[in-house]
Amino acid sequence: MFRRIVIGLALALVLGLGGFAAFAWRPSIAPIARPAASDFSADLVARGAVLASGGYCATCHTTRGGKPLAGGRAMVTAFGTLYSTNITPDPETGIGNWSEEAFRRAMHDGVARDGSHLFPAFPYDHFTKLSDADVHALYAWLMTRPAVAAPARSNALPFPLGIRALQAGWKLLFFKPGRFAPDPAHDAAWNRGAYLAEALGHCGACHTPRNGLGAEKRDAAYAGASIDNWVAPPLTGANPAPVPWTSDELAAYLGTGISRFHGTAAGPMAPVVHEGLAKLSPEDLKAVVRYVASLGGGDARAAEAAPVIAKALVADRSSLGPLADADARLYTAACASCHYNAGTQPNPLRPDLALNSAVSLSDPTNLIRVILYGISAKDGAPAIVMPGFSGFSDADVARICAHLRRTRTSLPPWSDLEKSVARIRAEGRGDY
Amino acid sequence: MAKLGHVSGSAAHPLARRDFLAAAIGTGVAFGFVGLGDAAIDPGNFARAVGTEGPVFAPTLWFGIDREGIVTINIIRAEMGQHVGTALARILADELEADWDKVRILHVDTDPKWGTMVTGGSWSVWQTFPVFSRAGAAGRMALIEAGAKLMGVAPTACLARDGKVVAGGRSISYGEIATRGDLSRRYTPEELGKLPIKPIAERRLIGKPVVAIDIPPKTNGSAIYGIDAKVPGMVHARPLLPPTRYGSKVVSIDDSAAKDVKGYLRALALEDPSETATGWVMVIAETWPAALKAAQLVKVQWTAGDAASVSEKEVQDRGAALIADPKAGSVLDTGGGDVDAMLRTARQKVEATYTTASVLHFQLEPVNALAFEKDGLFEIHTGNQWQSLILPTLAKALGRPEASIVMRTYLLGGGFGRRLNGDYAVPAALAAKALGRPVKMILPRAEDVRYDSFRSPSVQTLRMALGEGGKVLAMDHAATAGWPTQILVPGFMPKGTNGVPYDPFAIAGADHWYDVGAQRVKAIPNDLANTSFRPGWLRSVGPGWTNWAVESFMDEAAHAVKTDPVAFRLAHLTGAGRNAGGPPSAVGGALRQATVVKRAAELAGWGRALPADTGLGIATSFGQERDMPTWTACVARVRVDRKTGMMIVEKLTLAVDAGTVVDPDGARAQVEGAALWGLSLAIHEGTEFVNGQVRDTNLDTYTPLRIGDVPTIEIVFAESAEPPVGLGEPATTVVAPAIANAIFAAVGVRLRHIPMTSEAIMQALSHPR
Amino acid sequence: MTSFRINGRPVTPSFPDDTPLLWVIRDGIGLTGTKFGCGIGMCGACTVHVGGRATRSCITPLSAVDGADVTTIEGLDPAGQHPLQKAWIALQVPQCGYCQSGQIMQAAAMLADFPEPSDRDIDAVMAGNLCRCMTYIRIRAAIRQAAGELKGADSHG
Repeated sequence: MFRRIVIGLALALVLGLGGFAAFAWRPSIAPIARPAASDFSADLVARGAVLASGGYCATCHTTRGGKPLAGGRAMVTAFGTLYSTNITPDPETGIGNWSEEAFRRAMHDGVARDGSHLFPAFPYDHFTKLSDADVHALYAWLMTRPAVAAPARSNALPFPLGIRALQAGWKLLFFKPGRFAPDPAHDAAWNRGAYLAEALGHCGACHTPRNGLGAEKRDAAYAGASIDNWVAPPLTGANPAPVPWTSDELAAYLGTGISRFHGTAAGPMAPVVHEGLAKLSPEDLKAVVRYVASLGGGDARAAEAAPVIAKALVADRSSLGPLADADARLYTAACASCHYNAGTQPNPLRPDLALNSAVSLSDPTNLIRVILYGISAKDGAPAIVMPGFSGFSDADVARICAHLRRTRTSLPPWSDLEKSVARIRAEGRGDY
Repeated sequence: MAKLGHVSGSAAHPLARRDFLAAAIGTGVAFGFVGLGDAAIDPGNFARAVGTEGPVFAPTLWFGIDREGIVTINIIRAEMGQHVGTALARILADELEADWDKVRILHVDTDPKWGTMVTGGSWSVWQTFPVFSRAGAAGRMALIEAGAKLMGVAPTACLARDGKVVAGGRSISYGEIATRGDLSRRYTPEELGKLPIKPIAERRLIGKPVVAIDIPPKTNGSAIYGIDAKVPGMVHARPLLPPTRYGSKVVSIDDSAAKDVKGYLRALALEDPSETATGWVMVIAETWPAALKAAQLVKVQWTAGDAASVSEKEVQDRGAALIADPKAGSVLDTGGGDVDAMLRTARQKVEATYTTASVLHFQLEPVNALAFEKDGLFEIHTGNQWQSLILPTLAKALGRPEASIVMRTYLLGGGFGRRLNGDYAVPAALAAKALGRPVKMILPRAEDVRYDSFRSPSVQTLRMALGEGGKVLAMDHAATAGWPTQILVPGFMPKGTNGVPYDPFAIAGADHWYDVGAQRVKAIPNDLANTSFRPGWLRSVGPGWTNWAVESFMDEAAHAVKTDPVAFRLAHLTGAGRNAGGPPSAVGGALRQATVVKRAAELAGWGRALPADTGLGIATSFGQERDMPTWTACVARVRVDRKTGMMIVEKLTLAVDAGTVVDPDGARAQVEGAALWGLSLAIHEGTEFVNGQVRDTNLDTYTPLRIGDVPTIEIVFAESAEPPVGLGEPATTVVAPAIANAIFAAVGVRLRHIPMTSEAIMQALSHPR
Repeated sequence: MTSFRINGRPVTPSFPDDTPLLWVIRDGIGLTGTKFGCGIGMCGACTVHVGGRATRSCITPLSAVDGADVTTIEGLDPAGQHPLQKAWIALQVPQCGYCQSGQIMQAAAMLADFPEPSDRDIDAVMAGNLCRCMTYIRIRAAIRQAAGELKGADSHG
């Protein structure tokens, strides 16, 4: 309710400004005939393909099991459910009749070809930083994809949030158009990483918390946020992972989907790694790692790792033995066959739950989601599967979570676990 | 004590269905039937296929020999892990002097000619031994006669060895005799009964190590269980179970949402004249996954039976009330004496009440059945322990004569008594009849548990009068529980001395071999249990609770008279009077029980100093029945953690006298499994009946023993030439009382309920008496 | 449509994506060595390998194995002569046998991670595989025997 009032007041204020209508109005850009594939060089298309991967275009613009880029994927937000649109070059239902100018305006200004404002679920607040050359390559790639006829699904937004013109007000308040500006305090590689992460990869779209109107909080960049019924952990020094995120661990995680000391890339992060970062050149991936590592300062804390790992491996064994309680027995029977580790180092394919980020986050959502729904062969560690324990009762899942929290961390217990499990079960598996 | 009739040794029938050997499966294990040319069974997988022609020489019902010399032995017992086929075949093959490599076993389908088909009570080896020994001997003699004639020598000049008849330097194989010899020899049961069997020194297979024939297929996925049965054109049924076992009625079925599931056919409410599957709704689909999915969408409304308002506490309270009622129950013949007078006048009295919780079978293969009618015969494909019991029920349910129903035999993914009750065959058969198509039914796990005929909770009160020198003068034992036999086979109930029938399997164990002077054993059916759920036989059956009480109580009595529990037991296992024992199977009587008690105590270091909060406890058992005693003793070493109440069972030491051991390794396996079952029942398992259903329906909350819970186990067998007796159950019943007695020794806390829990220990520790 | 390889053979079963892999293997592909026990991932009878790792097939949706390599008990060794299978026979581990496909598959995956497993390793990793006949004593012994054989094979080249 508070949120609604804020929105109302903000809108009233904005509407009060006489120039608003003029500000909000954007012209339509004339449709064109769909460009021929031969209009674009193969090199350009190939470069666009890499950029499209790095920007996860297909991830959001494709439904589960649907035709690539044909849209329709649901995005559940605090304001309602939005559906991604068809960005194949189909002239009727896709963007086949968009000129490059129209496409560029969408990327840089968040305005559709017909002049309507786009919702910021489309991260134009990041893409505005993309260079014209990269937008050119992306256009070339998109226009050479197979066209799919797939009309957009209507969004399910409550009045007045569905009024696109009002998006202009949002932009006035929160949107700063403009290309990426390198930070002279850092070297070229870091700036390359920053460009890829901020402009193309839009990491902040998930990892930066949003304000009451859904805009990223600039003063809390990468502080962690809830997104698509998952938790995107902080990328800053506030990340609670027991082992610091060093450059090496980030390289492993972003490069392969597995960090032996943190876990595997699951949920919305899985396609980021497997469909996105995996396609970048090694240099670009290194640049991203360089940039992300600098956000949390993990390298400076590298020495903390060894004792934490040793302690974790001891904690691992606490669930075993004749003195194990009922929760420990449930955990051991359900989980230990894959998650138990021995020796002095955890096996990366036996994700160690004393080290796993999902266990140390203040919000148990990710842990509950993975327990209930598992991780498929395409996600997480490639070609292997974690099954989903949805046959467990809410109480069972809560017991396992509580047991891990209690025996594997010294963090405060999660409250209302059983209710959280029930809520997450009701949300369903989702698209990940 | 009543028991099942011995297997009839009728030899009058030649093998009626010779061609049933034609389609053979299994590495030497064949089943009576192979699923209609099923592609899933790849004959190439099986190295020891049965001969294709069938036996040409079958001097008794129990085996045949073909022209290749392959000996096929007919097994009427179910294979559920006890390697029964191998053990029984060894008995026959030994007498037959067969070449073991040429022996095949055939788990036969039902047929009246086999007599009673039941696998349970640890009876298999004990009942079959005399029959198969003589059948083998008959074959050997016939083969010697025929072989001698073919070689032109006198039979007295011949002997049989390794599948051949040998005369001096010459020999002729059984296959050749079967091919060329005079095959007309048949033996009547009377003749068979008179045949001599070999002296023990001449045994060549019995007692020698062997790889059980059923084992290799169980390591490579080729073993075929009931759940693997299939026929072309079958549909799949996933049942929805009513809220109570009895008295539920379907009010409405709404399957509108299920109609979107591809392959969904219909939801079928069963009409069951046998009242075995009352109120069931079968969700039918073309595939099993479709049936599973549709079942989640079919909404059924029921009215529940009376049990919907019954829970474990009411059942147990009823039990306690019955025990307090002097008129209730049946009095067993235990020699009598004026128990009440002794109790009134004795210088010292001990009394205690023991309880056990409801326990699930949780056999790992959920119950299932495939049913269809073909050529006028109704076929039931399933794994079952007591075909003879369920066939009449099937006949009633289907409204057709028993003779037109056949049960095809499969491996059992665990029996433990669950499959003695073949109730699960009925709903599959009814659905197949209603649909006119083959129906394959599987109970998903929660449904399997809800339909389980679980072990009834029990209440027992024991009283003892003690005299000079700690001598027991009288003992009174009243036990009450749900009675499986009363529900399922009332004809098996003998009458007590007061003329009231009793379930022998629900009280066995209370009629122990201790000399206790005047003795009264009262067996009382818990009527509320019997009407609220279907009590079942569970591995070790009655002794599972009676021996818990007897052996805990003996310990309490020993402590009451300040006597060492081992010495107290030995003082009362004197083998006097009715406890002297005798042939055929109980020679030696209570003295043999005393021997295993001593042996287990010695091995376990009885009397030696132990670390703090650690104790030894002993318990003993004569097994399942007085005339088939398996003398067993167990010492448990238990440490109790006083901070948490956790029990750490460090070691179990078992001494067993089971007479002749036919298959040493298999015998050890049975005792290992039985002892660990005992441990699981003692501290890991147990559920509760709540409003008409058991509380725990899957392994998240029902928690049988797992690998990390296994203590050190030491098992010794007595060397014995006495007849072989059962091994699958006795070790189950000694573990819980041994642990309870060890806990008492460790921390002075007496637990009288199983499962024993750390909460109960904590409570007792914090409220010392 | 989900495609994967089972025992080296590519398959594209015609089941809905949310069908448990177990039933795809048993009813669709016709390999019945993999068993159904509890349906909630707590007994291990349905254990197969996905990407070489022991996986409970009863709670793995078909869609999850898209593109993956699945191995069942039938494919563990073409002749059924995996060191574990040989040890299982030599020590006569199975009783009813129903859980043993899963036990062997779990043990095989374990030996890849723990070539010389301690008792604690065995107790932890095998904890998810229930044996209702309680053959645990022999399971432990057979795992150790097979580990010894594998180690011997390694050291001899």
